Amino acid sequence: MKYIVQVGSRRVDVVLDADGIVVDGTRVSAHAADVQGSPVRLVTIGDAVHRVVARRTGARGQYVLRMDGWRFDVEALDERSRTIRDASAASSAAKGPAPLMAPMPGLIVRVNVQPGDEVVPGQGLVVMEAMKMENELKAASAGTVVKVLAIPGTAVEKGALLVELR
Amino acid sequence: MFTKLLVANRGEIALRIIRACQELGVRSVAVYSDADAQAPHVREADEAVRIGPAPSSESYLKGDVIIEVAKRVGAQAIHPGYGFLSEREWFARAVREAGLVWVGPPAEAIAAMGSKTAARTLAISAGVPVVPGTAQGLTDAAEARTVAAKYGYPVLLKAAAGGGGKGMRIVRADGEMAAALDSARSEARKSFGDDAVYVEKYIEGPRHVEIQVLADSHGNCISLGERECSVQRRHQKMIEEAPSVAVTPELRKRMGDVAVAAAKAAGYVNAGTCEFLLDRDGNFYFLEMNTRIQVEHPVTELVTGLDLVQWQIRIASGEKLPFTEPLVPRGWAIECRITSEDPANGFLPSTGRIEHLHLPSGPGVRWDGGIEAGSEVGLFYDPMLAKLIVHAATREQAIARMHRALLELTIDGIETSREFHLRVMEHPDWQSGNISIQWLEQHLDAIATPQPPDDAVLAAAVAAALIAERDRSARGGVSTTAASSAAPSSSPAAATGGDAWRRAGLLDGLR
Repeated sequence: MKYIVQVGSRRVDVVLDADGIVVDGTRVSAHAADVQGSPVRLVTIGDAVHRVVARRTGARGQYVLRMDGWRFDVEALDERSRTIRDASAASSAAKGPAPLMAPMPGLIVRVNVQPGDEVVPGQGLVVMEAMKMENELKAASAGTVVKVLAIPGTAVEKGALLVELR
Repeated sequence: MFTKLLVANRGEIALRIIRACQELGVRSVAVYSDADAQAPHVREADEAVRIGPAPSSESYLKGDVIIEVAKRVGAQAIHPGYGFLSEREWFARAVREAGLVWVGPPAEAIAAMGSKTAARTLAISAGVPVVPGTAQGLTDAAEARTVAAKYGYPVLLKAAAGGGGKGMRIVRADGEMAAALDSARSEARKSFGDDAVYVEKYIEGPRHVEIQVLADSHGNCISLGERECSVQRRHQKMIEEAPSVAVTPELRKRMGDVAVAAAKAAGYVNAGTCEFLLDRDGNFYFLEMNTRIQVEHPVTELVTGLDLVQWQIRIASGEKLPFTEPLVPRGWAIECRITSEDPANGFLPSTGRIEHLHLPSGPGVRWDGGIEAGSEVGLFYDPMLAKLIVHAATREQAIARMHRALLELTIDGIETSREFHLRVMEHPDWQSGNISIQWLEQHLDAIATPQPPDDAVLAAAVAAALIAERDRSARGGVSTTAASSAAPSSSPAAATGGDAWRRAGLLDGLR
């Protein structure tokens, strides 16, 4: 089985076969085992032991991986699933940037944009207060503000639509 | 000594106070909101009383309810911890008027240090250095230049009505003054409708250094040395240490004397902290006094060998301090605040259930926490979950020890600040001690969303593929390869902890 693993912005080919593992063309011995009674897994690569905690995040194959003091967003898919997911990502990208949603329940403090504004990735759109702290919610991608649904002073639930982008 | 004490707080500090009570032989009474009914502080206390629903305004901030509970259960004293009601003058007064003992400074001392302006006036009268500044607006650039000559450049122009950096200008030489004053004024007028601008000495690249004091009710007040808390994000401390790389024994004595003078001027009793800005030339300036136990008190405990929370209770019960000379710090201590914030995602609060918690241990490691596996982390309270504290002979060893302890710490279920702290411990600026209160904000992106090394990325890719393959076979798909179950059959992991497919086969064989 060949997996195409997305780690952050990088793609790595990992082939699992009867003789072990081939990573980006290099053969290594590797093995994963559960630690009973905990979510920890021992991943052995060569003689090196790694303590790994993997948490499923969204769709199949997507995990947050904690390993060797680093946190990774990973997506491990076989070639066919990778192709399908790339195609659907391309079609949703064609539909335009994703809307800004509330990542947690809280209070809308400020809205920094209005319809018609051009935004750039990383630009702060809305300020929310939760746990007594103000948090700036940023645009994930460039776009134009179509509609602002966030109203300062109102409480919103997690997942509430705040700003629509085009 | 008291026989029973009520703890008017929650989380790690409530547990910290309960532990002190247990060691002193004092019965402890916890109070809790509906969100905390099964919390560790409730279970570890001798008695526990519900005080209201989850929002703190209806529970932990209900001073009158808490005093009623204390009287009903026969507690003689109330320890407020930090946050919540700990620095409310009215509450300290109400506790005293109810015939109970307040484990903290007198209400009058809280009032004297309560507002920054009142504290500044008191500090000046006690001969404590403050950041020099003019109180009223400037008339023109000539006057501004005269004042600047007195303080020495650089100076800071600040809008009198201001805040948030509006109407603020750093001026480094006479020649820049007129233009800077004009633009500060016009910005102040536009932002606040008031163009009054005053001058303050600009402290370049300062450190946050604070002095812990302990005063008994018999007139003894001593300094327990400094803590450095320069690693801050949005004025929130993230990492603290004791001692400070920037403080010599001579400076420690001077700062300690000044802190004791400020405490005495306020009629201070119990544990308190004077916060200072320390500039690159060793000049220090009083900011404010915190009239409570602080989050970062453990680093002082580790380098002095004193139990500060126990001493708070002893002092409140009338005990006299057995020492009158300042203590010399022994070794080095560092504290990291483990918060439910997601550094990879702009430090947004993370909520959920803690599914798994593995705590670091071994030499020199201390965990002051209020969480355990199964704890629900919500949005009602402060995101600080716990403090990881280490102690070692030198700063270098303490950093290595903290790094090791952070690697051992495993929290599954929510995002935390763990990886952020690992990156700070690895940073050359932190390791050399070359930091200021602006340091973290200047390096935040590189620390919060760092680029992992190549070999770690490749290892993560291998782990992800193996885990995806195991999940795939666990779902019932036929594993097409041997790699995911390629453990040598002699390995105990293969028999007990091997993949689900293999385990199912073994179980079949045992039927």
